[in-house]
Amino acid sequence: MPEITYRQAIHDAMVEEMRRDQRVFLMGEDIGTYGGAFGVSAGMLEEFGPERVVETPISEEAIIGAAAGAAMVGMRPIAELMFMDFIFLAMEPLVNQAAKARYMFGGKATVPMVVRLPSGSGTGAAAQHSQSLETILMHIPGIKVVAPSTPYDAKGLLISSMRDLNPVCFVEHKLLYKIKGEVPIEEYAIPLGLADIKREGRDITIVASGIMIHKSLDAAEILNEDGISVEIVDPRTLRPLDVDTIAKSVKKTGRLLVVHEAVKTAGWAGEVMASVSETSSWDYLDTPMRRLTGKDVPIPYNRHLEAAAVPQVDDIVREVLAMVNNQY
Amino acid sequence: MPTPFIMPKMDMDQETVVINEWLKSEGDQVEKGEPVILIETDKITSEVEAPASGRLAGVLYGDNEEVTVTQVIAYILGKDETEADLPEQPGKKEPVVEESLPQAQPAAKPERARKSATPVAKRMAEAENIDLEQVPSAGDKITKEDIESYLESLEQVTSRVQTPATPAARRLAMEAEVLLDQIEGTGPGGRVQADDVTAFVAHTAERQLPHKAVFSAGETLPLSRIRKRIAERMTASYQTTPHIYLTVEVDMYEAEQSRKRMNQLSDESLISMTAYLVRVVAWALKRHPFLNAGFEDDQIKLWEDVNIGIATAIDEGLIVPVIHNADQKSIREISQRLRYLAEQARAGALTREEIQDGTFTISNLGMYGIQNFTAIINPPQSAILAVGAIQRKPVVVDDADTIQVRPMMMMTLGADHRVIDGAVAAAFLAELAGALETPEVLLM
Repeated sequence: MPEITYRQAIHDAMVEEMRRDQRVFLMGEDIGTYGGAFGVSAGMLEEFGPERVVETPISEEAIIGAAAGAAMVGMRPIAELMFMDFIFLAMEPLVNQAAKARYMFGGKATVPMVVRLPSGSGTGAAAQHSQSLETILMHIPGIKVVAPSTPYDAKGLLISSMRDLNPVCFVEHKLLYKIKGEVPIEEYAIPLGLADIKREGRDITIVASGIMIHKSLDAAEILNEDGISVEIVDPRTLRPLDVDTIAKSVKKTGRLLVVHEAVKTAGWAGEVMASVSETSSWDYLDTPMRRLTGKDVPIPYNRHLEAAAVPQVDDIVREVLAMVNNQY
Repeated sequence: MPTPFIMPKMDMDQETVVINEWLKSEGDQVEKGEPVILIETDKITSEVEAPASGRLAGVLYGDNEEVTVTQVIAYILGKDETEADLPEQPGKKEPVVEESLPQAQPAAKPERARKSATPVAKRMAEAENIDLEQVPSAGDKITKEDIESYLESLEQVTSRVQTPATPAARRLAMEAEVLLDQIEGTGPGGRVQADDVTAFVAHTAERQLPHKAVFSAGETLPLSRIRKRIAERMTASYQTTPHIYLTVEVDMYEAEQSRKRMNQLSDESLISMTAYLVRVVAWALKRHPFLNAGFEDDQIKLWEDVNIGIATAIDEGLIVPVIHNADQKSIREISQRLRYLAEQARAGALTREEIQDGTFTISNLGMYGIQNFTAIINPPQSAILAVGAIQRKPVVVDDADTIQVRPMMMMTLGADHRVIDGAVAAAFLAELAGALETPEVLLM
């Protein structure tokens, strides 16, 4: 299998689907000649022309509103926002229109659209361009939220997202774009709502997503030297959440740590923990469930503070050690 | 005459006020209109100004005390006045006229506290109605953390849950049917962890095994006197006595029934299966004198008495108390004697007589579920009977190959071939088995 970047995997998924399905088109700011804020759509304008790679004015409400409308009349739009932070400008068309239409029209209208959202900190882009807002989207019935961590998952899940009949928010952590991984040449799709065990272990379950998968994997390597065996579960789709896979893992290890970059308060770590406590895995927990999340602050501009505001590998190692040593 | 310092009434419906803090102390010089006290009402914190200039004296209430409004709380001494001029009964209410009330003005939050505290700590203390003097603090100033831990220490939570335990520990305890409060928790705050339950259950199981050694692996133990004696005697016996072993399987149905009937006939102490066995063995030994014989100094001595030893495990090792003249005792006597000897053995109180002069030994490991085993003869005796567990199993009961489930028991006789030949041993064992299967033969 060839190794490609996460950026390339998303690019390939869009290109292949657009070649396969004439209804699929991409719209967003600077996605044409410039190739997108993170270069994901580079070269697409040349192949598909301005009819299918649509440069929009600087209005997120217009982008999402137009995408929702196009989806309702039979198109398969992909809307790219430069930064996930700007989703607030488009909450009305996304939440009140796109998310509701299929339900309110008794299934007669479908809204097969994908909103691609570059998220997260680590690029020195400060508080208004670094947020992880997936929890806000997860709270809305009618929206699916996908957050892949590897090139393989990104391509397979984006294919499924484009074919889904509901609005899908596709969260791409900015630091993932350059990460490489094996992706098959032949067509494949990963069903939405299925978690993936990224590393098998027996002592503790870490549930993480996006860039935190990679930090957790690094932490697991370090912990392995101390004889601590970490299991890492990547939900991949945050809504619908694959509670079964998580609960099964917790039953095996008896410990759960949820790691995400989004801030702690009302973050999705709480949702995972609550869901687990509602399963029979509760009876297998041998330490309080813990979450390691972004601090409850806006992402600072100063790069040291920026790093301190979100979980790092050392933090994960420290937290896991405290948990397996019964310090909580 | 000293000017009475009266606690003003701040609100129409106010009855009491709390003195937050005296800004001046007894003896301090005060100026009329100068703030002297910080007070707290239900609504605000205010300053109370001095009603006159002079020296503060006769202070009747301290910080944080609740005072009825319009009451004298102190006096201001005039120029030439001393404490001697204070009224006789300080604290006694004096009639107060409304217009003489000093002016109280809403003030900023207290600017200084007697005990230094951070502004946040002060605000918290105020909100929680805490006396800052009561708050322990490690640093120079009382901090927010100090207030928080003080508040926490005041909290007395009575929980429905008596023993803190993780959900996994609770589940394991329930499955193992052990009570959590018996288990020492090693988690934070004594919380019972899964490992604690597992360890407790394993430990308890070990203890329930009979005569569990309190030794740990890896230990080297010097031989106790009793172990040394066991070692010497068993080695000597095994090396010098040519053992032969014969095994027979007995249908214990009749024996069990007979013992049950005997126990039903009387309310006296129950007859044990071992006692039953001793009685039948004694009967058989009487009929097979070579089994009740000793080999000493190249001579075979056929003993008159039938003294049956019962191998008994005790913490220190093994001891063999003896039922003397077992052939002349009733089953009940044997049973009572056995119980007594077992108690004495466990208490380490057996007398020399009680373990001497055995002529034959029975070793029963049936209670451990052992089916069959061989035993080493206890010299100078020439035979030992190893008895296994009674197990219900299918056996062919007649010539028509009918299979029935019967309570079966294996017995293995160890015999000294110098005294007892195979056929002799077999004859004894066959008769013993027959007597167990058909108890009536004892009457014939």
